[in-house]
Amino acid sequence: MPGSARLDPDLAQLAIEHCYEQDWSDGLPLVPVSQPLLDRFLAQTSRGPQEIIGSLEQVGRECTVELAAINAAMAGCRPEYFPVVLAAFEALMLDRAARGGGFQSTSGPAPLILVNGPVRGELGFNAAGGAFGPGFRANATVARSVGLIVRNVFGIKPQVLEQATQGLPGRWSICIAENEEESPWEPLAAEAGLPAGTSAVSATLLRTCEFVDNRHTQDPEQVLWDFADTISRTGALIFRETSCGVVFCPEHAQLLAGAGFAKDDVKDWLIEHCGRAQADLRRAGKDGVSENHVRFAADSAQADGGFSRILPSRQHVPVLVAGARNAAISMVVRVFGLWSGTPVAIETRDDAALAV
Amino acid sequence: MPNAILDPTGAAGRAPGSAPDGGPGGSLAPRRAGLAGARVGLLVNTKQNAGLFLEEVGRLLVERHGAASVLARIKANFAQPAPEDLVKELTTECDVVITGIGDCGSCSASAVTDGVLLEGRGTPAAVICSDAFRGSADAIAVLRGAPGYRYATTPHPVAVLNPDQVRDRAQAVLPDVVALLVGPAGAA
Repeated sequence: MPGSARLDPDLAQLAIEHCYEQDWSDGLPLVPVSQPLLDRFLAQTSRGPQEIIGSLEQVGRECTVELAAINAAMAGCRPEYFPVVLAAFEALMLDRAARGGGFQSTSGPAPLILVNGPVRGELGFNAAGGAFGPGFRANATVARSVGLIVRNVFGIKPQVLEQATQGLPGRWSICIAENEEESPWEPLAAEAGLPAGTSAVSATLLRTCEFVDNRHTQDPEQVLWDFADTISRTGALIFRETSCGVVFCPEHAQLLAGAGFAKDDVKDWLIEHCGRAQADLRRAGKDGVSENHVRFAADSAQADGGFSRILPSRQHVPVLVAGARNAAISMVVRVFGLWSGTPVAIETRDDAALAV
Repeated sequence: MPNAILDPTGAAGRAPGSAPDGGPGGSLAPRRAGLAGARVGLLVNTKQNAGLFLEEVGRLLVERHGAASVLARIKANFAQPAPEDLVKELTTECDVVITGIGDCGSCSASAVTDGVLLEGRGTPAAVICSDAFRGSADAIAVLRGAPGYRYATTPHPVAVLNPDQVRDRAQAVLPDVVALLVGPAGAA
């Protein structure tokens, strides 16, 4: 590496502006990618540069390993992050909504990328304070890579093939690592059946993230009722059923576990208690449900006595743990479709070396 | 020489303007002189009010323009192009097809894609989109090798309309639909 005296900021600025002029940018500066940098990324994987890692039928585009690498490098990833980007992209493409119209949607959903296993420490993925960012290169650039792939490889750009009405803050920036060390429960990757100690990525699309601040009680059910209120708000209900996860902070998770709640107990409690009275749904014009399971303002007056549950199964309630143990503040994560629940193992350096 | 800055889009590997699915791209089906006796197909994408909207357009084409029949088919996945068996049925059983409503980010694009696919198979199509989705509709036409592909629009919003309002909309868009489907005999 040259010393700082030999770095040329004026040339760097020209290259960055070139990238803007090509319409490659998400709005922030990009790292201009050269063949030597691309080669360092490709050396991190045993997969061939032309191998296809995802396709979107509706736009007739495919993403190869090489194009993913160029976009990851542009996003600011270090080469050693590249296997995480590949796993994240593969995990996201397991999400039915992402393969469907999610990236084009008026709702402008954001990928939620979750990293498990030793890779968190090895590559510097933040799992603790400020888990949703910003401030950590690995988290920020892996998430940004996905956004650049959607923009550049799939050609889905804002106000053109991407029709987000408002979008959401933090789109293309949500990559969290699970705080396995302070979680009382098994990590998501292990819950999904991967051997303990496996580094893996899971992903889905989110409509939004909403905090629940409850530093007010040690009663586990009071805490859960506070989550149920946020999860059950009518504004988020479009269909008969919904999917909604919680990224618990360590304090909430430990409080619940200390009171005897296993992860599945938390899910079951939320399935049982989340929902709305029919009268509330009527007030918001969402009391009817069509053949397509879309809610609508029903014409005829019905008895308002019923209660509609909204979370049909445990798969609809992913439970994660991340953040610092410094306050009882957690995040409700509003899933756009349905989390596949399938983590993708991250290729290790040994895997890549063996394949060469 | 410095190293080149690499292109992240993969554009270099694609022929410009080629239809990504290998279809012909850009060629319109020959138009009919009129709709008298035409068998009308409806490709309904399941968006809120799309079924009633297209059924009403079909009914009016029979009532006012002498169309012979209406065949309505549902496209189960509004975000994706119509599956091959559905395209085959519509192009075999129908003389013209109405598709829509393009009333979301993905379904506006896929409705236009369906129109381009049907045209390429020799069946005139009239795509109906909400006017809020012109950007998406125009962009996918370029991507599908049919830049400038014409479609009909209805004012946004559509999903919240009541049945009478939907029928009014169908009536209002009818002249544009007819204009898209007819022309000098054999003209494309």
